[in-house]
Amino acid sequence: PSGALLSAVWLLLGLAGAWGRQVLAAGEGRSLAAPRLDSFPAQVWQLELSAVPGLLYVLCARRGIYCLSPDPKSDGSDRDSEDGELPCALISVDPDACLLPDAALCTFTVVADKLVTLAQGPAHWKVQLFECPRPGEDARPRGQVGEVELSISSPLTGPLGEPTAPRFLPVLRCVSPAGPSTLLSRVQGSGGFLLERALFGLLFGVDASLLESPVILCGLPDGQLCCVVLKTLVTSKLSPGDPKALVKILHHLEEPVVFIGAVKTGSSAQDVGDTHPDCLVALGHDGRVLTIKAGCDEAGTLVPALREYRLPGPVLCAACGGGGRVYHSTTSELCVVDLAQGGVPSGDLGDPPSLLCPAGLGVCSVVTLSVLSEVPEGTRGLLALSTRGRLMTCRLQLSSEVSGPTRAAAASTGQKIKDLLSGIGTVSERLSSLRKAVEQRNKALTCLNEAMNVSCILLSGREGPKPISCTVTTAWSRPQLQDVLTATFWLENSSGLCLDRGWTLCVQVLTSASASDSDMASAATTYTIPVDRLGPGDRREVTLPLGPGEDGVLHLPLTVSCALHYSLREVMGGARAPSESSKDSSDECCPDVLPEQDGISLPLCEHTVDVLWCLRFPGLAPAHTQAPGLLGPLCDPVDTFLGSFLGPRSEPTGPASLRAKFLPPSVATIKVSAELLRAALGDHHSGTSLDCAALQWLLAENAALDVVRARQLSSVQGVAPDGADVHLTVREVAMTDLGAAGPLQTVEIQVQSSSPASLCGTHHAVIGRLQVMVVEQAARIPGPPDLRVQCLQQTYSSHETLLREVQTLRDRLCTEDEATLHATAQRLLQVHRQLRSPSLLLV
Amino acid sequence: MSHQTPLGTSVPHTSCLDLWREKNDQLVRQAKVAQDSGLSLRRQQLAQDALEGFRGLLHSLRGLPAAVPVLPLELTVTCNFITLKASLAQGFTEDQAQDIQQGLERGVPQTRSTFVTFGLLQKEKSRDEVPTSAVCLSSTVLETQKKLGPRLECGLRGLWDSVLHYSTLLLEVLPALHHLAGLQAAIWLSTDCLGDLTFLLQTLNGNQSEASENLLLLLKTWSPPAEESDVPLTLQDARGLRDILLTASAYRQGLQELITGSLPRALSSLQEAASGLCSRPVLVQVYTALGTCLRKMGNPQRALLYLAAALKGGSTCGPPLLEASRLYRQLGNTAAELESLELLVEALNVTHSFEAPQLLIEVELLLPRPHPASPLHCGTQSQAKYLLASRCLQVGRAEDAAEHYLDLLALVLDGSESKFFPPPSPPGPCMPEVFLEAAAALIQAGRAQDALTVCEELLSRTSSLLPKMPQLREDARKGTKESPHCPSWVSATYLLQGQAWVQLGAPKEAISEFSRCLELLFRTTPKDEEQGPASNGEKECISDVALQQLRAAALISRGLQWVTIGQDTKALQDFLLSVQMCPGYQDASFHLLQTLRRMDRRHEATALWWRLKAQTELPQENAAWSLPLYLETYLDWIHSPDRETLLEEFQTSLPEPPDL
Repeated sequence: PSGALLSAVWLLLGLAGAWGRQVLAAGEGRSLAAPRLDSFPAQVWQLELSAVPGLLYVLCARRGIYCLSPDPKSDGSDRDSEDGELPCALISVDPDACLLPDAALCTFTVVADKLVTLAQGPAHWKVQLFECPRPGEDARPRGQVGEVELSISSPLTGPLGEPTAPRFLPVLRCVSPAGPSTLLSRVQGSGGFLLERALFGLLFGVDASLLESPVILCGLPDGQLCCVVLKTLVTSKLSPGDPKALVKILHHLEEPVVFIGAVKTGSSAQDVGDTHPDCLVALGHDGRVLTIKAGCDEAGTLVPALREYRLPGPVLCAACGGGGRVYHSTTSELCVVDLAQGGVPSGDLGDPPSLLCPAGLGVCSVVTLSVLSEVPEGTRGLLALSTRGRLMTCRLQLSSEVSGPTRAAAASTGQKIKDLLSGIGTVSERLSSLRKAVEQRNKALTCLNEAMNVSCILLSGREGPKPISCTVTTAWSRPQLQDVLTATFWLENSSGLCLDRGWTLCVQVLTSASASDSDMASAATTYTIPVDRLGPGDRREVTLPLGPGEDGVLHLPLTVSCALHYSLREVMGGARAPSESSKDSSDECCPDVLPEQDGISLPLCEHTVDVLWCLRFPGLAPAHTQAPGLLGPLCDPVDTFLGSFLGPRSEPTGPASLRAKFLPPSVATIKVSAELLRAALGDHHSGTSLDCAALQWLLAENAALDVVRARQLSSVQGVAPDGADVHLTVREVAMTDLGAAGPLQTVEIQVQSSSPASLCGTHHAVIGRLQVMVVEQAARIPGPPDLRVQCLQQTYSSHETLLREVQTLRDRLCTEDEATLHATAQRLLQVHRQLRSPSLLLV
Repeated sequence: MSHQTPLGTSVPHTSCLDLWREKNDQLVRQAKVAQDSGLSLRRQQLAQDALEGFRGLLHSLRGLPAAVPVLPLELTVTCNFITLKASLAQGFTEDQAQDIQQGLERGVPQTRSTFVTFGLLQKEKSRDEVPTSAVCLSSTVLETQKKLGPRLECGLRGLWDSVLHYSTLLLEVLPALHHLAGLQAAIWLSTDCLGDLTFLLQTLNGNQSEASENLLLLLKTWSPPAEESDVPLTLQDARGLRDILLTASAYRQGLQELITGSLPRALSSLQEAASGLCSRPVLVQVYTALGTCLRKMGNPQRALLYLAAALKGGSTCGPPLLEASRLYRQLGNTAAELESLELLVEALNVTHSFEAPQLLIEVELLLPRPHPASPLHCGTQSQAKYLLASRCLQVGRAEDAAEHYLDLLALVLDGSESKFFPPPSPPGPCMPEVFLEAAAALIQAGRAQDALTVCEELLSRTSSLLPKMPQLREDARKGTKESPHCPSWVSATYLLQGQAWVQLGAPKEAISEFSRCLELLFRTTPKDEEQGPASNGEKECISDVALQQLRAAALISRGLQWVTIGQDTKALQDFLLSVQMCPGYQDASFHLLQTLRRMDRRHEATALWWRLKAQTELPQENAAWSLPLYLETYLDWIHSPDRETLLEEFQTSLPEPPDL
């Protein structure tokens, strides 16, 4: 029966929240046969019932609109009266019932025989107008009759190109002008409302009111409130609507619009007979309320009067009903506020919105609200659905209704005081949180200022030592069974500034790739050490292990670079925290605003740690301290092997002599012109001979420097990191055959080691330093001394031949078999030895 | 599979590849089934399912590191996915551009590395050159990838450049890549990125025709490599896409040239489009555009031929009929013009059957959104009806005009059942003006009573928006300076009501209406325009000049009524005022002259006569401004009929011409 159906309309509207996949329609307190609907394929977002053809429209999330005929089949097969429950009829949801399959649909409304939908596009909202199916007709779209796009400021697509799930759904309502010709039921039955003609004409124009056209109001999640006059929504494939002509933006609420409605404020009640709403209301999610009424300016011309108010948010849902009352639900309370009362402060648009004080009704967590139409006189009925799925009817006695200043009885005074007190509590809480936020922000600014100052002094390209410096020394230690090379960093702050929280010392250790696998990227390890407050004049010591790594090999040279890093996240995080905590937890403020590496990075120094840093000199150590890390005589398997080779008859000998017997030491020499070296060393060698000074210069970063300097040594016997002995000798020699004008004074640096690898490493390190020195000195030294070119040419040509031989030998190494391999390797070693003598000469 | 070894990347097992390929082929077949099934809902679901299938397949393919053997399949699936998505959404969005970009980004490193491997294997001596260029390329690709966020287009262009540059060596990727390039071209065409499009086509053609910037020529030269029989199935092949692109760009170009006025070039472009591959509705559009072009070039007969062809073409015969009416108007054939307009109204009455679009990239997808200013815009039935009615009124067929106006009003006012909508205000008049024109047409047709009804309807429907009359009177009594704003069409309504009373022979009522009109008119001051956007937003439909004319017309009308009831003094006052109000408007002066003569005020009459004579000898300045149609019609009514004879008569009655 249509009467019962009509009364179910309101219940269905009340349920039209995002409740679930099953929809139950229940009678309004009467024992009405309630049809139960089958499961929908997805969450139900919206329900509308068009009364005249008797069809139920259901919007399913990401599926589209289903159209069902809610006439319960009276076969009685599904009746279940044994449990005493209401008899239910099942309406099946056929996939064919899908009227508009469109995943982008977000909301819709039914206006007379038209279906208005709002779909989300990648860069706009699209309002589409369809003809409704007639009852009895097959549920199929009868063709689109209108379309217009609403542009928005920010794109709606997410990073993956798929439309992001809307956090807030838009709101679509239909407004009709009140008039004698307008049928009330026609408008209300489809979720629309009437508006007094003067306001209607003012808002939507003369054309709309002349045509008495319904107007579609859209409240978008970005805060826009816009309207489209339905009768102007032209369409055909050849002429879609021009958004500029069709869409009018009424206001921008600056927060997601959750509700649009109309109330009767009665303030302009010259004509008492007009009972139509005269005030358009829009509610934002965070509690902003917009009211639009028709007002007169000083000349008497009708103008729309816009006012903004604030309600405590967040607003989950709202409903208008009975006079100027607006019911709205927050997470904690269902409130009512009466906009018709004179007590509503009148502020102009542009003034800060004044706060409305709603009265609580003592119901919480209501997600959908509907005002009941058919209730006994003197009361007001609300139908509410809670988040947990509880359907409630609330009856409010009009006499005891709150917020009536004329009825300020003693009973309500107590309530009022309570409300005021709780209001004060809220305000003070808010104040303290705001104060905290300001403090944190100030602190962050101070930190940033200091960071800025530090950056300035470090980056100003001044000569000389930097006010904040980092020095590095290396040492061997043996924390466990293995020898470990450790580096000690001294961070010294000689500036007047203070390095506070947020600064970290970043040390990057870059292992040079070994020659064998040059494709492999060199491995870098980064250590970050927080600098927890380094005041002016303070020093901080940091010790880090450099190697050997997991493979037990120390890959030299290592590049160690130090930098100071200031993390902006640290500072910003402190300032951001309070605002985040004030929002509810579901409001995820994306934590990845700052990328991981964002901050200020200031390079301090860079060193190359080579073999010369790591040589150990057991012979130089003071007698009482055994140099740590010297391998025991039986550690090296080669020595053990060689020892066994000698046989048990021979007297035991040291490893050095063993090696000397079997592996003749390799030797490499480099000659540097004394003049060059003297210039480079400058005043460092004053007081000592040149050879001693050169050795000290080479071992400048070594821990044994002090001993070498104290004893004025010009030759040292050391141990390389891999345990091989290294002999480093520096002596002055005169080269007679080269100089064109007499003998050339040179300093010879001789590296001698039984292990070719250590020899190469040390040789490479020495050459590396000399190279740097030569490059530095090249500008200062007037020019090379006269040399005998013929001699040089001779050396050069012999080296050419040798290099060619090396090439052929290496090629042969790849192809040859085991038998001849040994001979070739021997020959290669020999050639290399020949290549090294005569030695490299730097002048 | 020969590249498997040198690449060393993990290529999925062959059976897996076959499986995916089979899946692609099956989805393509499903989409084709959907295409053929007429049932719109089932079709939609099938197509949607196929789209999801392609999306999933693409997801699986992209889960693996890109490898050359898989690349053709992956690109083909990407093409199918984009084609189906665009045809379902009936347009391209940024999503598709991103899909293409992702496809390319996966393609780039593959084509490059393969190229490098090729180079190493092929020529030992080129070892030094290839890796360096490859390194450069990889760094540029990385850079483009970093920059891609905001400036997608620029990056896409760079990506295309590098991909096409290196893929010339990879023959098996080439067909799919050309197909993808076709889709990219479609996107760039539909978003009007013609610079990028030209660049892409030049690159596709191997830069051999670098000098040519001509898009059509480039499209013609582009020949996508033929697909072999064993490749994965596609929804639309590259050559078909090329043909569609050619037609669409020819049509776009022709339309653009037609609007900018370079007619000969527009003609050739449009003829190119007409000879291309397109559906019937598009062909109708092209023929109509050709008709417009030829009409503007002064070839009405050839234009008619094209329009006739367009009308034979299909169901959408609105635009050609409208164009035909313009053509007949230009030719001066009023009867034919009105007949075509009537046919247009009939044609627009038929609802378009909802035709399901093809699941392919079609010419329609690549055309610009029809703009109201475009020659092919024919509007709705009510707009056509309005055009017909106003033309009837203009050419003097008052009876027909009145009928058409009444039909139009019935059409737009008929509440819920109305299927068609009024003219949108910017190009046409606003709704109240349509009412006023209807009233004017009724008066012209001698149906004064009906005109009164129309006017009353207008006033009653907008009464809530208007300042109340008692309030106005009160204001006037108090003498407040500020008076409520009242739109000019309200005054015009009173003016027409007065004229209707005149026709009904009731001068008293007429005079009262004219007085009301004047009262309102002299309140309406142009300063009201400064009202902000928050006000009712009703912009004044009338210009200042028209307002002046309206005032003069009201004064003259009232004066004439005073004359009718024999109150010459009052008439004289009104005529004098109207002359002051609108000195250039001669009708007022003539009426004044007549009254002065009748009242025997010779001196003033003579002075006025001299002035008038001087004015008539001057070249008559043509009214360049356009008046509202109802006002034009109204001014005809109060036009003094025989000016020349009046002047002649007056001259003879003068005693002697004063010497100069």
